[in-house]
Amino acid sequence: MNQPARVLSPVPSPASARSAMERIATQLGRAVQGKEAQAQLVVTCVVAGGHLLLEDVPGVGKTTLAEALARACGLSFSRVQFTADLMPADILGAQVFHAQSATFQFRPGPLFRQLVLADELNRAPPRTQSALLEAMAQGQVSLDGATYPLPPPFTVVATQNPVDFSGTYPLPDSQLDRFMVRMSLGHPAPEVEARLLATRGGAPALDAVEGVSGPEEVASLRALAAELKLDAAVAEFVVRLATATRQHGDIERGASTRAVLALGAAARAQALWEARDFVTPGDVRAVLVPCWAHRVLLRSAVQGVTARDEAAHLLEEIARKVPAPR
Amino acid sequence: MRQGSRLRLVLRDLGSGAAFASMAVSGQLPAWTLALYGLALVCALAGWRLFARRAKLTALLLLVAAVVLGMNVLAGALNLVVAACGFAGLISAHRLLSAPEPATDGQVHLSGLLMVAGGAALSGELVYGFFLVAFSVLSSLSLALGVVEAAVPEGEPMPVREVMRPLAKGLLFAVAGAVAFFILFPRLNWNMMGPRTSPGLGAATTGFSDTVRLGGAGTIKGNPRIVLRSTLSPDPGKEYLDAYWLGRTYDIFDGQEWTSVGRPPRGRLFMVTLRPGAEGLVHQRMELLPAYGARTAVALESPARLGNAAAHTQTGSRRITLQEMGGGEVRFLDPATSYTYEAYSLPPGGSGDKFEDLPADEQDALLTLPEAIDARVGQTAARVLNGEREPLAAARKLADWLQREHAYTLELSGDVEDPLADFLFERKAGHCEHFATALTLMLRTQGIRARLATGFFGGERVAGGYIVRAGDAHAWTHVLVPGRGFVTVDATPPSHRASQSSVVLQRLLALYEAMEAGWRSAVVDYSFRDQMDVARALVRPPRSRTGEEKPSRLPPLRAWAAALVAGMVAYAAWRVLARFLDRERPHEATRFVDAVEAQLASARLERPEGETLEDLDARLTREGHPLSPALSPITRRYLEARFGGRPLRQGEAAVLLATLKRAVADEARRAADESRTPRARRAS
Repeated sequence: MNQPARVLSPVPSPASARSAMERIATQLGRAVQGKEAQAQLVVTCVVAGGHLLLEDVPGVGKTTLAEALARACGLSFSRVQFTADLMPADILGAQVFHAQSATFQFRPGPLFRQLVLADELNRAPPRTQSALLEAMAQGQVSLDGATYPLPPPFTVVATQNPVDFSGTYPLPDSQLDRFMVRMSLGHPAPEVEARLLATRGGAPALDAVEGVSGPEEVASLRALAAELKLDAAVAEFVVRLATATRQHGDIERGASTRAVLALGAAARAQALWEARDFVTPGDVRAVLVPCWAHRVLLRSAVQGVTARDEAAHLLEEIARKVPAPR
Repeated sequence: MRQGSRLRLVLRDLGSGAAFASMAVSGQLPAWTLALYGLALVCALAGWRLFARRAKLTALLLLVAAVVLGMNVLAGALNLVVAACGFAGLISAHRLLSAPEPATDGQVHLSGLLMVAGGAALSGELVYGFFLVAFSVLSSLSLALGVVEAAVPEGEPMPVREVMRPLAKGLLFAVAGAVAFFILFPRLNWNMMGPRTSPGLGAATTGFSDTVRLGGAGTIKGNPRIVLRSTLSPDPGKEYLDAYWLGRTYDIFDGQEWTSVGRPPRGRLFMVTLRPGAEGLVHQRMELLPAYGARTAVALESPARLGNAAAHTQTGSRRITLQEMGGGEVRFLDPATSYTYEAYSLPPGGSGDKFEDLPADEQDALLTLPEAIDARVGQTAARVLNGEREPLAAARKLADWLQREHAYTLELSGDVEDPLADFLFERKAGHCEHFATALTLMLRTQGIRARLATGFFGGERVAGGYIVRAGDAHAWTHVLVPGRGFVTVDATPPSHRASQSSVVLQRLLALYEAMEAGWRSAVVDYSFRDQMDVARALVRPPRSRTGEEKPSRLPPLRAWAAALVAGMVAYAAWRVLARFLDRERPHEATRFVDAVEAQLASARLERPEGETLEDLDARLTREGHPLSPALSPITRRYLEARFGGRPLRQGEAAVLLATLKRAVADEARRAADESRTPRARRAS
């Protein structure tokens, strides 16, 4: 499961950060072909230090993408299939009694990996979901009075099937807020599907993915992104966008403060794609929809895919209307 | 019609109305122009654009109006400036009733400006200022709404409130600022073009001239404007004085006009310094108000001495000299808005000049008759007098007869060949000039010396003094009684001697006069010295009750209060200023991006609304646009300067812009070459 981490030198500059990010994205592109923009967004989310929610119908490569990310970044990986009978201890771990030493020892669960794929998160009962989301927020697990830190750079890639909701526990809106980016892969283009069929013939796509980074590099990318300059005018622009969502007639609940912070972090990581050490309004706009579409609650009763599309549409409209600083 | 459009048109029409009113308050416009304009304004405000479909045809009406006004001017009945003002009003009225289009709007505003200029030429009084401000405010609001309306696409609602609020606030500040400026700083005389000295609201009043012509309508009787204020000493204490205020006399009548042989201007200037309390004489402190509009001094009948005269103009007051003219007239030498002076007169009812004092030629003039006098005048006089030879008794007998047999009327129109005979024997109705002329000439036919006197009759007690209105203008007869001098005999029926204006109008005018007096004393005549006086009064230590200075050297309470108010005003001003200064100034890079976008605009790049330079650069790069290689480094540098904390170096912006300019020019040349090439090929 774990890939040997390639130890690379820390990232010294935005230019080398971009090349590192491009390296990772290229590897992702090998696993999920024809989805360059999505691959870039995944890398952006990881560099921004966020968790990723993949929402799509089965069979489009959600799991593959997560595994490819772990492999390309050289991160330890675990996959948890969330089911209706999954208990918190099943993911967090448990105190196990050792008869020989007559003591309890903590046996870490599958969460103790650098990249965790929480497959079909909405199938697990709320208690289990809650345990995962808590770990995501705090980067640690508390059990029986003891605290166990999760291995950095701890990242969760969760998946949801947006269509099949029967017997599921949809994530509460407040919990959705903990994911920095929500995205869909969508079906590959017909020519990509044809090429897959012709060239690979069903061979696992992950075989083509190489480890091109390591946890240290990811950590240094994150550190660099966190330090990028975000001008007061850009910060004000982010806040104006949030205010616009809060005042929009069709939106019941606008962007939260956590959403504002997440957008700032994502925009910082986005700026690295241009090898810049500062954030522009264009960076903010580029990540606005994936960052906020799952965080705003619409007034219309329709939920699911339609609501998400509607939210994305509203956010695009807001991004057009709120004047960017000049 | 959109809500904003309706409001805009109402504001436009009201602005035009205010401009017209600024001329109308001069009281000099012909009544029919007032009526026509008023009608047009009412229709326009009701939304009835009656001339919307027949603009050119209805313009013929203006031609008719122009002809009528022109004829009036040629006939001398109308001043050219007044006629031009009236015509401007009619043009505006025509435009108000035309279809509301941008061109019409412009014409309405322009004619409004013309009318305001006309109003300044005609009056320039307090009410003019009010209407000027009203026009400025209403027209500005209307113009601003017009600009917004043009910018808002058809079908979208007008942001009326968003526009009107800041605009109204701005205008309020502007007007308040202008008023403050007007009050704080010394003024200039801005009514230099006036046809005469500020008659103000209502028509010209006194009509004192070298001649009095019989006939014509006596409209002046209905004019309630106050022309004269007087305080008398000793105070008679009556509610209505009913006194004769003499202006001047006339002794020669040629059948149509009264003139004065009198003494020619003697060239002798005199200014008598008066001492109050002369034996038996009534001392008057006279004030001739702006509505008076003439330069003849007026005093209670049989004035003995006049003096201490001062003229008041908009630039200040000064002492002036009086000159004695023919016909017993005393005239102020300098033109002014108003005059104050003192006078001593014999008590009302007393007699004036002694017979012996009159030069022979003047004595002879008192018996002259027109050459073509109707024989019936003398015969009637003889019949009425029935042998009475004593001058005063004869005059009273004739006056009684005239009052008994003749009616008083102001409805006289048109000149007649012999107005006296017409009055006495045909129409048997006339106004004071007819009665006085008839009495005077009838006396003369009987060898009794008499003359026509003009001035005012009345005296209404107001605030301890007496006022006389323009409507009190009057004419009467002076009969020369041997041993007593001239004695007044009035042939006009008593009920028609004084002003005949309505009570409501009098009250309204009194209110206006009070406002105008306040305006003059508090604003127009408020000089630098007054400003200094106020400042000094603020810091002068208070006097004790005994009138002695208090020993305390501390400033009085009012000085502290004034300092507090001044401090608060200064603080408020500082707050406003600080807010203004703290306002975020455009970033240097923003100015640069403005210049870049101006360059790009010349390249005719299609750009969706709200697309930033960053978005544009990304798009051009995606599309492989020829300008992209030049624009990308510029965009990058702009972004660095604006958001990256690396400002543009000295001259860097110019270099970058020059690069872009070259690229745009190259691209334009290339595009031109491309479009020429296929043609060249076809030609070959």
